[in-house]
Amino acid sequence: MDVFSNIALGFHVALSLQNIGYCFIGVLLGTVVGVLPGIGPVTTVAMLLPISFTLTPESALIMLAGIYYGAQYGGSTTAILVNIPGEASSVVTTIDGHKMAGLGRAGPALGIAAIGSFFAGCTSTLLISFAAPPLAAVALKFGPSEYFSLMVCGLIAAIVLARGSVVKAIAMVVIGLLLGIAGTDINSGIRRFTFDFRGLADGIEFVALSMGIYGLADVAYNLQKTEEKAGLVHEIGRIWPSWADLKLSTPSILRGTALGSILGVLPGGGALLAAFAAYTLEKKVAKPPRHFGEGDIRGVAAPEAANNAGAQTSFIPMLTLGIPSNPTMALMIGALMIHGISPGPGVMNERPEMFWGIIASMWIGNLMLVILNLPLVGLWVKLLSVPYRLLFPAIIVFCCIGTYAVNRNPFDMYVMAFAAVFGYLCLKLDCEPAPLILGFVLGPMMEENLRRTLLLSRGDVSILVTEPISLGFLIISALLLLVVAAPFIRRKREEALRE
Amino acid sequence: MKIKAEKEFWSGLMFLAFAVVAIVMSRGYSLGRAGQMGPGYFPLALGVLLAFLGAITISQSFVKEGEKLDALRLGPLLTTALSVVLFGLLIEVAGLVISVALVIAILGIGLRSATWLELTALTVGLIVFAIAVFVFALQLPLPIWPTV
Amino acid sequence: MNRPVRAIALFAALLLTPMASTAYAQGYPNKPIRLVVPYSPGGVVDYIGRTLAQSLTETMGQAVVAENRPGAGGILGTDTVARSLPDGYSVVIMDPAIVINPTLQPSMPYDLFKQLEIVSIVSSSPLVLVVAPDLPVKNFAELAAYGKANPGKLNFASAGIGTTPHLSGEMLKQRTGADAMHIPYKGIAASYTDMMSGKIQFSFSSIAGALPFTKDNRVKAIATTGAKRNSVYPDLPTVLESGASGFEVDLWLGIFAPAGLPADVRDKLSGALTTVLAKPDLKTAFAKVGAEPRGTTPAEAATILKREYEKWKTVIVEGKIKKDD
Repeated sequence: MDVFSNIALGFHVALSLQNIGYCFIGVLLGTVVGVLPGIGPVTTVAMLLPISFTLTPESALIMLAGIYYGAQYGGSTTAILVNIPGEASSVVTTIDGHKMAGLGRAGPALGIAAIGSFFAGCTSTLLISFAAPPLAAVALKFGPSEYFSLMVCGLIAAIVLARGSVVKAIAMVVIGLLLGIAGTDINSGIRRFTFDFRGLADGIEFVALSMGIYGLADVAYNLQKTEEKAGLVHEIGRIWPSWADLKLSTPSILRGTALGSILGVLPGGGALLAAFAAYTLEKKVAKPPRHFGEGDIRGVAAPEAANNAGAQTSFIPMLTLGIPSNPTMALMIGALMIHGISPGPGVMNERPEMFWGIIASMWIGNLMLVILNLPLVGLWVKLLSVPYRLLFPAIIVFCCIGTYAVNRNPFDMYVMAFAAVFGYLCLKLDCEPAPLILGFVLGPMMEENLRRTLLLSRGDVSILVTEPISLGFLIISALLLLVVAAPFIRRKREEALRE
Repeated sequence: MKIKAEKEFWSGLMFLAFAVVAIVMSRGYSLGRAGQMGPGYFPLALGVLLAFLGAITISQSFVKEGEKLDALRLGPLLTTALSVVLFGLLIEVAGLVISVALVIAILGIGLRSATWLELTALTVGLIVFAIAVFVFALQLPLPIWPTV
Repeated sequence: MNRPVRAIALFAALLLTPMASTAYAQGYPNKPIRLVVPYSPGGVVDYIGRTLAQSLTETMGQAVVAENRPGAGGILGTDTVARSLPDGYSVVIMDPAIVINPTLQPSMPYDLFKQLEIVSIVSSSPLVLVVAPDLPVKNFAELAAYGKANPGKLNFASAGIGTTPHLSGEMLKQRTGADAMHIPYKGIAASYTDMMSGKIQFSFSSIAGALPFTKDNRVKAIATTGAKRNSVYPDLPTVLESGASGFEVDLWLGIFAPAGLPADVRDKLSGALTTVLAKPDLKTAFAKVGAEPRGTTPAEAATILKREYEKWKTVIVEGKIKKDD
């Protein structure tokens, strides 16, 4: 078949000594920035953009792509070890991953994250090579109304995912939506909820918010415990996942990969939604369901597989349509333009060596990443045996430098401090912050798409249910709501009957 | 009435606080019409929804038994937050070296957990590592020394 | 302020004072020059700024360092330069947003004409007018006529309120009497999906943004907005050619310094810019994003700046686009 000769061509390009070198540089840098709190692939790709202009377009893209998916591997490391999600998509990983670390199972958590990511990366790359054009056609079907309904669906999934009170989870989503709205409104240009701080004109920086709510609040919480119990001892258990772990995780990895591959294609929050959706699905589907939220390995395996699969397939709209699905992809389009290549449907025929070279490099890169990351697991786990009195100042300093490096805006430090206080209150009050993060990221997109839908339909709301895809998502949302509400209603009825 | 679930009660109050801010502030932005939603429409709707959720949470706290809120210890939290604010104030004028040293000093003094020798070694180690990784490896133009 | 903060502030102040005052003494430039790019890395402004910084470094024999200071549509980064010393070591590269913001924004942290001075206009690039593939128009005049004959049928995309693509669309409405509804997007790239599916009918896009979609005719390019035709689209007529007099939109980039630059420093800087901008390799580099190098004198640049300010002010006031609070 044609695809095979294309893949052969791709390996021919990707396996040249030079391109293997750039691929390695890319995934290595990706791992580093993934592990470092704050600074992520966007900043790194941006910094390396000028360098990439001096390379051939194949080498440039292979390196930049390596940074992007490499960071997905690295991002889970800090999420598991110190409760700092390197990226929005690793927020879900903190829920069970950090709990596992607390139980002395940081090693298996890190191991399964790497294995899950590797499997997902390879599988979804295979999907790109066979089904890129039809998948790209799906992305083209999505207009403002479809995106709005998809986001409604995603937010309701976030409610399912939270532990404890449903009402509190909904409230956290709403607070997230409100925080996300802060900044300049794109429809009117008015600045909302900025309290006249110019530093908030572009909204609250995600990195500052998540570092504060997760990393710093967690530090403050642990320090308080240390005051009480003198010394926070992390047990170091086994370093590798056991066979039982692997067996338990395999179906979760498969489901996560499938979900991630599909959602990743959609521009705007696809990969993030994938991680949340994968976790929600596991919580409802996985048997036996008992340990979610308390350190269940499947709660790490599924979202990690999903976000890596999503990261891989988010290249599809970029390469085949020229439409960036996230800021990193926008930078890569920029890099291609400077090389005189306009990404679009023609690129597969005009530059097959580049298109297939990148795809082949993804397999090579994923292999490098798993080889690079598995031995590191031992090292990371040892890091937890560093006394907390030395570890916590290091965490704080790295949060500061990493967050500052993103925008070089000192105001982000103040946001981070504020978020730390808020995150601490949430910990104290048992309010799960993961739904808030999803609301924060999706909020502005959801409002933007709803308002755009209504502008385009000249105020006709019915468009949301007359467009078939949009209607589909709204029906799924309603079903999900029923799933959430069902136990609640049943309990109420039982209470009523008893009386 | 007696509060039966302290955590629920205070969560509800926190939701209400956010809701009040949202509602009050979004009244300053135009609401628009359904067809052409103004900038105030979405936040106002969210504020009202949040107020409703807050009210439910509070009312439940009087009915359902729940967990007690354990004591807040603000010392570590405030020290952490202040050290971050300090970093923000200093980084542009004083540069990385002085800012990091001061942040660690504050954390050391505020929390009295490590010895001076440990803190000094940590400071030197972190600064060297940070400059090597951020400035040299990743080429980020961070100010190292005080600049104008 | 707690004690350590005050102590360090004092220490920093002591350290900085002598450095600041000696900066004037020796020949300019004797230390690295900071070129602030007030946008995120990866855009056209960032690319031109970095290319320029690299060439200037070679010519001036001093490092010119491009530094991204994104935020608030360029206002944050521009403000850091407006508040710097007028010694020629802090400059900013900025697009027409710098003349649009004073009219558009309810409050500004700096006064463009009092606190900043323009050193040179370094590049020009037109916008390209693109339309949905199934829209039955072939040129600017037909688009205007279509909009006039079919009120409520046209939607145009932009990268947000008060951006050049938005104001260009408003200018089209004002000059031709065509009806069209403005649909803002976060970044023009996101609007192309909706244009390909016919939800959006037209937009004025940057060349770099439009190129991937016009190359294989997934959307139709019908005109460019410059004074003359652009080398990327040599076959496209300008809007001026189609008879719309004065309809010219230039996405120029200018180098600004804090006001009160010593005359010799300003001349040296603008001289270096002129030298660099005449180089053929820079022309090639700029052409990749559809821009052409310019290199005006400070006086010429100031005249252009004032004219641009007035032009967009008229569009904003007439279209009632000013942000209300």
